Amino acid sequence: MDRSPRPLLVLMVLMLLVAACGQDGAPGGEAGDGQAADGEECQLEDDEVRVGVQGSMSGAHADYGAQIEMGATMAAEEINADGGVLGCPIELEFADTELDPEVGTTNARRFVNEFGAHFVVGVDSSGVALALAPVMEELDRIFIATHAATEKLTEVAVFEEGNESVFRVSVPVYQDAIAAALVFKDMPELTRFATIGADYEYGRTAWAMFKETLSQHRDDVEFVAEAWAPFLTNDFNPHISTVMAEDPDFLFVTPWAGEAVTLLRQAQGAGVFDSIDVWWQAMGGSVDVLEGVTESVQADAYQGKLWATGRYLFNYPDTERNQRFVQTFRERFDRLPNYSAATTYTAIQAIRAAVAEAGSLETDAVIAELEGLQLPSPLGDEFHIRAEDHQGVYSVPVGRVVYDEEFGMACVCTDLTVFEPEEYYRQPPFES
Amino acid sequence: MDAATLLYQGLVGLNVAMSLWLVAAGLTFAFGVLGILNFAHGSLYMLGAYLGFTFYGSLDLDFWLALPLAAVTVGLLGVLLERFFFRPIYHLDEAYHLILTFGFVLILADAVRIGWGGVFLIPPLPSGLAGTVRILGRGFSVYNLFVIAAGLAVAVALWLLLDRTWWGRKVRATASDREMASTLGIDTHRLFSVVFGLAAAIAGLGGALSIPVQVVTPGVGTAIIIEAFIITVIGGLGNLSGAFVGALIVGLATAYGILFFPAIELFLVYLIMALVLLFRPQGLFSGR
Repeated sequence: MDRSPRPLLVLMVLMLLVAACGQDGAPGGEAGDGQAADGEECQLEDDEVRVGVQGSMSGAHADYGAQIEMGATMAAEEINADGGVLGCPIELEFADTELDPEVGTTNARRFVNEFGAHFVVGVDSSGVALALAPVMEELDRIFIATHAATEKLTEVAVFEEGNESVFRVSVPVYQDAIAAALVFKDMPELTRFATIGADYEYGRTAWAMFKETLSQHRDDVEFVAEAWAPFLTNDFNPHISTVMAEDPDFLFVTPWAGEAVTLLRQAQGAGVFDSIDVWWQAMGGSVDVLEGVTESVQADAYQGKLWATGRYLFNYPDTERNQRFVQTFRERFDRLPNYSAATTYTAIQAIRAAVAEAGSLETDAVIAELEGLQLPSPLGDEFHIRAEDHQGVYSVPVGRVVYDEEFGMACVCTDLTVFEPEEYYRQPPFES
Repeated sequence: MDAATLLYQGLVGLNVAMSLWLVAAGLTFAFGVLGILNFAHGSLYMLGAYLGFTFYGSLDLDFWLALPLAAVTVGLLGVLLERFFFRPIYHLDEAYHLILTFGFVLILADAVRIGWGGVFLIPPLPSGLAGTVRILGRGFSVYNLFVIAAGLAVAVALWLLLDRTWWGRKVRATASDREMASTLGIDTHRLFSVVFGLAAAIAGLGGALSIPVQVVTPGVGTAIIIEAFIITVIGGLGNLSGAFVGALIVGLATAYGILFFPAIELFLVYLIMALVLLFRPQGLFSGR
């Protein structure tokens, strides 16, 4: 036969197709009923408040985007049913970031230039958020991050470089790294620390901050091994065997979503829990992860050694406001809310509060109102946004993962340690 | 670093290799015989995983029954795909094959999202394979040993089938000269359907085998097809032994790369492929 395989050509076509495949995440659905309920006249310069919402909506991390969408939708529905923002309805449009900085910035431009968005909200990936910061400043629109956790977004982009367009309502890696170090420093039996890290900004910066904080409190600890896994890893066995070769007793683990569940399952098979004392699954407090590990937790496969947190836990805080949020969310979507839902819900509420107070959609006026905003939220009755670095402040517990009868699934429900934000949030001017 | 650590990491690499081999095998087999480069091959793997989940995780069938059921179902779908979609385009350029099969990537990804939802799924480990054994003084997953055995079994079965049976001879004859085989009375149409069905079934088996140890999402097909393609390029497109050796190379390079060169581990596999393309563009084992 006369077929000559031309691998290079074929590979190039293949790559192009994959790249093309990546483009199918254009702004998609819409929500909001376009009309504030009680027919009050809209008192803003535009006839609606438009918010572009983006998150990871495909692949192993898809539940975070879905939860971002659910949180935003619920907030918009509640606000619109309650008269909107100064009589103007909130309109949402959604897009998939595909965890890709280029896609994230393209979405933002499309939101602003085509949909006419006044705000951009969401984003799971630190890399996407950092890429978005200068773009939002250029577009002169406000971006409120609800999941992306690198401290550089608020400490560097906002505080150091003075990018006023960026806010974050979700707790950054202070939660994953500093809160964890403060809990585990008090377990003297832990001396050999290793990481199976997410091989990108989030995993790198979280591990660095954890090491730094722990070293300030303990001089008898060793950091014995590191293995790094990029997005889309489905076989973590080589990473597990690499760190386990150094016989650690503590694993700092940052892959999240479905990848966390895969990683835990593969570690279980390799007998990791027979030899370590603590598995710290930094973002394991997310609903999709907890659902994914529930059966293993029930079977005691992790021997009670799985510790986790999140940017919010549905079982905390024990306030009336949070209980109502969780209950309404369950009734509306038949799922428990994860942290991206609660933080995105809070972001939309913050937009309402700030715009109402400013009486305008003008970017500078709204920024001024968001700075220092006090906003009782499911995240906490004392939730507020720090003016200096535009960082939302509230506290989330660190705890151990157990099965809970009431929720019918695994949750971060026991051995909870709650710090005051002042104890573990880094403070401006961020000199270490 | 002691010898035990080296050997243990090699065993982990063998496990990576056998998972990838189950995908690369069908990809290269279908190309070798039919001349079609099936970009949707990874999606057939994904479908095998979802069906495995349904048979074993949802319908609660025995795992040993769920595996062949998933493989056969995906195999039958492969036969239909070949008969109604690929057959009309064999004579066209490879670029057309890629575009058509890429269409199926999108269709199947959306189909599973409609059928199984967007959130990842994972069933419990099958009870008989859930344990850990001690190898070289460390724990090793029984399930991973099973995957290694399954990969080797598929390799041996394919070799016996193609090298030792009359049907295998017909396949080889058709692969080397389609017109001549047809002239000699081989029903190449039917043979193509069976070959493609078999290739799809192996992918389905690979997917179903992954389900207790990897979450399945609508995206797994595209992630794995790239690796499988790299393996087939290294081994020689269309060459089954080449794909087996290619899988071993990629699996071991991945495992040792993470252990020794964590900074360039991802790049390592591409580097090997680039070197092969530079110095032996037809692949390590040329010819189909």
